[in-house]
Amino acid sequence: MDELQAIRELYGEPQADPFLAARVRRRLESGSRRRRRRLPWTAALAGLAAAAAATVIAVPGVIGLGQDPGTAGRAPGASGQPGGPEAASTTLSGRSILLAAASTAAAEPAVPGSYWRVRKLYRQTHPERLGRGQNRYWVVESRLTEQWVARDGRVWSGSRTLGTHPASAADEAAWRRDGSPAEWSSRGRVLSTSPEKGRLREATGKVPFSMAGREMTTEQIRGLPADPAALREWVGAAVREAGIGGGETTLTSTAGPTGGTAQDAPGPTGGTAENTPGGSPEPDDGVVADALSGLLWSKPSPPAVRAAAYRALAELPNVRYLGEATDERGRRGAAFSFTTSFTTSSTEQVTVQRTLIIDPGSSQVLSSTTTGLPGVKGEQVEVVLKAGWTDDEPSPPGLLR
Amino acid sequence: MTAMSWAACPAEDTPPGVTEAPDARSSLSEPETRGVRLPLDDPESFGAVFDAYFGEIHRYVAQRLGVDHAEDVVAETFLTAFRKRSRYDPSRATVRAWLYGIATNLVGKHRRLEVRTLRALGRYGPEADAPGHEERVAVRVSAESLRPELAAALAGLDRRDRDVVLLVALAGLSHEEISTALDIPYGTVGSRLSRARKKLRAALGGVNPMLDPEEAGRG
Repeated sequence: MDELQAIRELYGEPQADPFLAARVRRRLESGSRRRRRRLPWTAALAGLAAAAAATVIAVPGVIGLGQDPGTAGRAPGASGQPGGPEAASTTLSGRSILLAAASTAAAEPAVPGSYWRVRKLYRQTHPERLGRGQNRYWVVESRLTEQWVARDGRVWSGSRTLGTHPASAADEAAWRRDGSPAEWSSRGRVLSTSPEKGRLREATGKVPFSMAGREMTTEQIRGLPADPAALREWVGAAVREAGIGGGETTLTSTAGPTGGTAQDAPGPTGGTAENTPGGSPEPDDGVVADALSGLLWSKPSPPAVRAAAYRALAELPNVRYLGEATDERGRRGAAFSFTTSFTTSSTEQVTVQRTLIIDPGSSQVLSSTTTGLPGVKGEQVEVVLKAGWTDDEPSPPGLLR
Repeated sequence: MTAMSWAACPAEDTPPGVTEAPDARSSLSEPETRGVRLPLDDPESFGAVFDAYFGEIHRYVAQRLGVDHAEDVVAETFLTAFRKRSRYDPSRATVRAWLYGIATNLVGKHRRLEVRTLRALGRYGPEADAPGHEERVAVRVSAESLRPELAAALAGLDRRDRDVVLLVALAGLSHEEISTALDIPYGTVGSRLSRARKKLRAALGGVNPMLDPEEAGRG
């Protein structure tokens, strides 16, 4: 495992005494300790002066311990947007493509295997500019991630950093002026231009999948409705129960470039499995679309459920067909996108857009590009290299072929 | 501790008078004050600095020296910062990095205490669980067993190497910030960091190669 992460886990989160700051402040002000002068600064801090000064300096970004700071992309406190944005309905051609993909999916044989495996190429701009002085630049991190889920629910997470590189030509020029460094530290991580060796770790005590805020096992996914309307209803109910579309919710960014869980993103977390009484707001179509699309590529959905998910997506008004597109590996497919909007705790309106490129011929999702995720600079691209059941044993990701 | 000498002794590899570009803000959720630079001459600003950074500086010191001893050292940190505020040069460092530098130098005066703290961490793990910890436990990998080795390796590092790797891991500072915070050349940050990481990796990898089959062959 990464030694910086290991350090954070070793040190943990020290006990926070709620009165400590006030106590130390008082101590400094009163000069209660020997040889200590009284600090005059609080005398000047009465009333408006304090408020004004305090607004200049908000509490700084703090690295959450036990959580990789590089992957922290959270915006708590989303409030629902019933009905979602005014979106054009899926065009006829887009709808027919999704329905064609559904037919393909339905006709696929259910392949047996010991492990559900999803291998992805992951690309994201590092959220902080690097460099010194006037030579500042954005860099892009690439990583192979691989998720293995055994039939009995055990989860392994594999990851291999492919190296960090300047994002654009202008960034590269600034990087050269900075002396072409091969290593940086930022947000509690060390970034390097060189690839790392692949790593594999077993995650313990974790339910392997999550959809619309609900933790799900492989068996539960196999038991999902195979009828499009029923599936949409199921997902809508799960979204409502999770409080998305009406109450507070948390939008979690996709398992970051450091790998992680098999959770979907933007995906709600938390939530209960109880039925919500009637009268709750309509679930956000964007969240429903996202949960449905997760069934297409990141979860071991049986063919009938994948087909139902495609058919349900074809009927969602906010799923837009963008036309033909090519993914980063040069594979051609059809691009669809949907958005979800919410308000963060700082009352900022955030719109997250996910674009999927699917191959209607094989019904496979080729790639996902997410923009607008809070805490994430630019695009977050996930290219699906492999998704399916396998009898291979979990092993660290090899090189990109 | 010797006097912190920011303005008096600029590092040669940092161009003087360079401030962060205004668009250095990184993201929506990240407060833009992370890299704030401001003059500290007036007491009001200093009070605001205390309020803004007390929490994380305390956490850092408590991690390194234990909660029981952190309070004095953190108080000393802010007292030192206040005394030396006229030497703080906003063009060279963020307040945050400056405070971490002062705290790190003060922690350095308690080397034996830090080693004792590390030994306890290795044996018993972190003292307290903050809310939300359960979730982290759930995804925690089987690194538990490596804790004593990691703690021992950290304790065995040269203090200057340990300072750098902990400023990266716990404070999230950049090479440049560490260079100004500790008043050492930029290149030295990199060499101390790689030396420290190599030793820590060996401590982690050497004990449980099964976690990382490819690393096992490296020795």
